[in-house]
Amino acid sequence: MALLRKWLGLSVIALSAFSALADQPTAENSMIADAALSAAELKNAASLDSLTVPTPGEFFKAIEKGGKPNWTSQYRPPVSIKSTDRAQIALNLGTLIADGYIAVEAHDGQQVKNVGKDVLALAKKLSVSQSVISRSASITQFAEADAWDQLNEELEATQNEVKKALEENRDTDLITLVSVGGWIRGTEVVTGLVLQNYNAEDAKLLRQPALVSFLKTKLTNLPSKIQKDPLVQNVSRDLDSIEKMVSFSADHVPSEGEVKDLNLAAAKLTKEIGAPAE
Amino acid sequence: MIRFVLATLAASLVLAPMGLTETDDQVTARSDAIDLAGAFQNDGFKIRDGNFLGQISKDHSQIVAVNLYSGNAYWFTASTGQKANKLKVSIFDDSGKPVSYMPYQSGPRAAAGFSPDASGLYYIKVRLEEGQPATFCLIYSYK
Repeated sequence: MALLRKWLGLSVIALSAFSALADQPTAENSMIADAALSAAELKNAASLDSLTVPTPGEFFKAIEKGGKPNWTSQYRPPVSIKSTDRAQIALNLGTLIADGYIAVEAHDGQQVKNVGKDVLALAKKLSVSQSVISRSASITQFAEADAWDQLNEELEATQNEVKKALEENRDTDLITLVSVGGWIRGTEVVTGLVLQNYNAEDAKLLRQPALVSFLKTKLTNLPSKIQKDPLVQNVSRDLDSIEKMVSFSADHVPSEGEVKDLNLAAAKLTKEIGAPAE
Repeated sequence: MIRFVLATLAASLVLAPMGLTETDDQVTARSDAIDLAGAFQNDGFKIRDGNFLGQISKDHSQIVAVNLYSGNAYWFTASTGQKANKLKVSIFDDSGKPVSYMPYQSGPRAAAGFSPDASGLYYIKVRLEEGQPATFCLIYSYK
C-alpha cells in the first residue's frame, strides 16, 4: 500500500510537471522494465563526484521524512581553521559545508553566516576564495531573508564552485578530500539524529557500501605525498571499518547499537579533521 | 596584439584538455536538460548542481552510478538538445537488475522518476534510440 501511494505520488507529480511544459506530452502513467545490465556495462559505468556522491543536503532531506529532526542538537563547537596542512584544510572545508546544510535545515540564519565565514577563511587558504566570495554574499542575503530553499541550492553551488576552482588550480586531489569530509560529517549528523528517535526506516538510510567504496578508491588514487599525510592515513584506515558498518543487505535494519558504532566512528573522524594542527 | 592572441591560444590549449571549456553542443544539451528538470521544481524537487556530459550513439549507451536514499523521490533528466534524437533514461539496482520507474520520453528529452525502497547504489542508463551520435547531458533532482 505504501508503495502504491508512493507511485501515485510520483505519477501526479509527473503529470502536473510535464503538463506545465506547453510543448510536451504528459508522462505515461506506467512502470516499465528493461533488460538487465551486462557485466561489462556495470564495470564501465561512470562514477563522478558531481553525481555519484550525494550532497549532505540530500542525505539530510531523507532523514526529514520521519518528522522534523532536532538539527541544532547536531551543532558542534567552532573548528580550528589555523591549519596550514592543505589536506586537512580540504577535509575541514567539506565538514564545514555540511555544517552549513545543518544550519539551513535548522533555519538558523546566524549560524549559516558563521559557517560561511569559516568556509571563506578555509577557501582563502586553498586559493579558491574568489569563487566563494560572490556566493558568500548571496548566502548572507538569503540567510537574512530566511530564504532556506535558495540557501540549500547556494550551498551546493558553493561546494561545486570550490571544486571547480580547485580543478582550475590543478588541485583536483583536494576535491576528493572535500567530498570525504562532507560525507563523514553528514554521516555523524544523520546517525546522531537516528539515535535520538531510533526507527527502522531512518536506520535503513545508512546503507551506503558503494559510496564509501567509491570514496576509498579515490583516496587510494591520491598522489603518494597526500596519502602519506597522517590525517589522510587515519581517514583511509577508519573508512575501512566504516565501509563494513554501512555494507549490509537491503533487507537488513541496523540495530541501535550498530547505528551508535557508526556514529562514534564518524564523530571520531570529524573531531580529528577539525582538531588544531600540531 | 600578437602576444594577446598567443596567450589566448595557449590558454585554450591548456584548458581544453582539462575539460574546462564547453562546446555549443554541451551547452545546448545541458540547457535543455535543465529546462525539462525545471518542470519538477514547482513540486518541490531540487535540481542538483552537478551534471554528466557525454557522447552517445545507438551503439554506445552511457551508464552512471548514483547513490540514492530511501524515502527520497528522484527524477533523472537527460537531453541531447537535438530534435532528431530520441533518448531514453532507465534505472537499475546495484546488481544491474531493472527497477520499476516512471518513464518520460519526448524526442531528445527523456526522464525517469524513482523512489527507492532501499538506500544504496543504482545505475542510470541513457540510451539513444534514434538519431545521429550526439552530446547529451544528465542531471537529477530530488525531494
